[in-house]
Amino acid sequence: MACLHDHSCEDHDCSSDWSLYKHIDLPKVSALNEAVPGSVKSVFKAWEERLNSSGGHLESNEGDPELLIFIPFTSDVKIKSISIVGGVDGTSPSKMRAFINREGIDFSDAQGMQAIQEWDLVENFQGVLEYQTRYSKFQNVASITLHFPDSFGGDTTKIEYIGFKGEATQLKRDVVATIVYELRPNPSDHKTKAEGGGLSHVE
Amino acid sequence: MVLEATMICVDNSEWMRNGDYSPSRFQAQADAINLICGAKTQANPENTVGVLTMAGKGVRVLATPTSDLGRILACMHGLEMGGEMNIASAIQVAQLALKHRQNKNQQQRIIVFAGSPVKYEKKVLEMIGKKLKKNSVALDIVDFGEEDDGKPEKLEALLSAVNNNDSSHMIHVPPGPDALSDVLISTPVFTSGGEGGSGFAVAAAAATAAAIGGSSGYDFDVDPNIDPELALALRVSMEEERARQEAAAKRSADEAGRQGEEPSSKSEDVTMTESGDVSVLNEDKKLTDDMVDENDLLKQALSMSMNISGSGNSACDTEMSEATNADQELALALQMSMQESAGEPSSQSDVSKVLEDQSFLSSILESLPGVDPNDPSVKELLASLKNQSPGKDEENPSNEEK
Repeated sequence: MACLHDHSCEDHDCSSDWSLYKHIDLPKVSALNEAVPGSVKSVFKAWEERLNSSGGHLESNEGDPELLIFIPFTSDVKIKSISIVGGVDGTSPSKMRAFINREGIDFSDAQGMQAIQEWDLVENFQGVLEYQTRYSKFQNVASITLHFPDSFGGDTTKIEYIGFKGEATQLKRDVVATIVYELRPNPSDHKTKAEGGGLSHVE
Repeated sequence: MVLEATMICVDNSEWMRNGDYSPSRFQAQADAINLICGAKTQANPENTVGVLTMAGKGVRVLATPTSDLGRILACMHGLEMGGEMNIASAIQVAQLALKHRQNKNQQQRIIVFAGSPVKYEKKVLEMIGKKLKKNSVALDIVDFGEEDDGKPEKLEALLSAVNNNDSSHMIHVPPGPDALSDVLISTPVFTSGGEGGSGFAVAAAAATAAAIGGSSGYDFDVDPNIDPELALALRVSMEEERARQEAAAKRSADEAGRQGEEPSSKSEDVTMTESGDVSVLNEDKKLTDDMVDENDLLKQALSMSMNISGSGNSACDTEMSEATNADQELALALQMSMQESAGEPSSQSDVSKVLEDQSFLSSILESLPGVDPNDPSVKELLASLKNQSPGKDEENPSNEEK
C-alpha cells in the first residue's frame, strides 16, 4: 500500500493527489481529549509540509491516548485513502476508526458504535504509508470523524499530520453562513420598494 | 458571546434549611440560579439552561436544556428539601443531559451548587473530573454552606481534574451579610460569557446595589449612572446640611471656650459620627468623576477660604472664628474634613489629597471667575494648604483622644 513511485514523493504529482486538505472546513474542525485546545488544526497541511512540525502537533492528554477528531468538509468529497504521521517513542496511534457524516460524536458514542471502517496502523514517521478506504462507502463525505483508541504503548498519542487523498465534487453542503435572528419585528427591515417609509406592507 | 448549554445542579438537601445565608441557604441558592439563567440567556439568545436536583428522592432532571426562562423559574418553584446531595451521580446525569442537547454546536458547562458535605472520595471525584475534561465539558463549582473538613480539598481536586485552559472555576462563598447572588455576580460564573455576560453582570450589580441601599453600593438608593442629577442634588443637600450642623455645633462650642483645641475636638466628634457618610460620599465623588465640573460646593469653599487666608495662617480654627457666618460654615466644613483626613488614613483623605494636588487646584482656580492663579494671595493659599496637613498631624493625636 506504499507509494509505488520510483522518484521521491516530494514531486508535484504526488502532492496534488493529497490536496483534499484544501476542502477541509478548518474553523469547524474539533477534537476531543486534546491537550492544547485548537491544536488539532495544525495537522492538516500540504503534503510537502507533512514532516514539518513547526506549526505544532496534536497531542492527547497525559495518561490518556484516546483521540477523537471531527473533520467537516466544505463540499462533498470522495476519499480514496488516508495517511497518518504519528509521534515517536510509541506515541503513534495504533488503530483508526472512521465514522462518516455524523456530528457530535463523543467517546462513549465512538466506543459503542460500529465504525464504517477500521484500520490497524503502523508507525509511519515519513508519511509514505497510506491506508486505503473501501471507496464505495466513502463517496459522499461531508464530514469524517476519526477515532484513535490507543497508541503504541506511549502515555499520550501524538499526531503530526493527517492527509486525505481523493477528489472533491463541487457539491457544496447547504451551509447558511450568517443567520440574523429577529426576536422582535423591526419595520425598518421590511421596507418595500413601493413605499419608502411609513407602514410596511406585506403583499 | 460564547454559545453554551448549561446544566445547573441544585442542592436541595436537608442542610439547605440553615439560615446562615439570608433568608435561607435554599432561597439564596434559588436567587442565584435565577440570576444565572437570566445572564446566560441574555449573553447569547441561543444559549440553553437546564436544572436538576441533587438530593431529595434522588437525582432528578427538572428541566432539560432550554432557552425558556419561564420554564426554569417555574420548576425552581415549589422544590422540597430533604435527603443528601449525591454529587457524583448528579454530575454524570448532567453530562448525559448535555450530551443529548439539541444544538451540538453549544459548549457544555455544568454549574454545581455544593452546599452540603461531600461523601465521595477524592479519587472518585477526580475520575469524574477527568471524564468531563475528556469530553470537553466545563465545570463551575459554587462552594457554600457546610464547611466540612475535606470538602474544599475534594472540590479542588475535582476542579483541577476538569480544568482545561481555565474554563472551569471554583467559587467559595462564606456565610455573611452579602447575598449569595451578589457575591457570584462579580465572579467568572457570570462573566465567563465574555462581553455579553459581563454587561449583564454590571447591570445586575448596579440594580441590586441600588435596591439594597448601599452598604457596599450607592448612597440614597440612587445610582449615579442612571440618574446623575438626582444623585448630585441629594449629595449636595446632604453636604450643606452637614456643614450647617457642624457650624451650629462649632458656634455653641465657641461660646463656651475660645481655645483652639477644644472647639475643634468637639466639632470633630460631631463630624466623626458622620464619618461614615463622608467616606461613602467621597467614594461617590470618586464614582462620579469630573469633580471639577460638578462640585460647585468645593469651588465656593475654596473661594471662601481664599478670602479668609490672606495671611496664610495654618491655625485654621482661630481664622474661622473671624470670618462671617456663611463663610464659616463652608470653610469650616472643608477644614474639618481636612483635619480628619490627616489623622485617619481613610478615604476621607481623598478630599485633602485632592486639595493638595497643585495641578488640580490650579485648574479649579483657573475655572473660577475673577481668579488669577498668579495672584500672590492665591499662591499663598496653595502654600498654606500644603503646610496644613503636616501641621495637623500634631494637632490630631491630641484631638482624637477625646
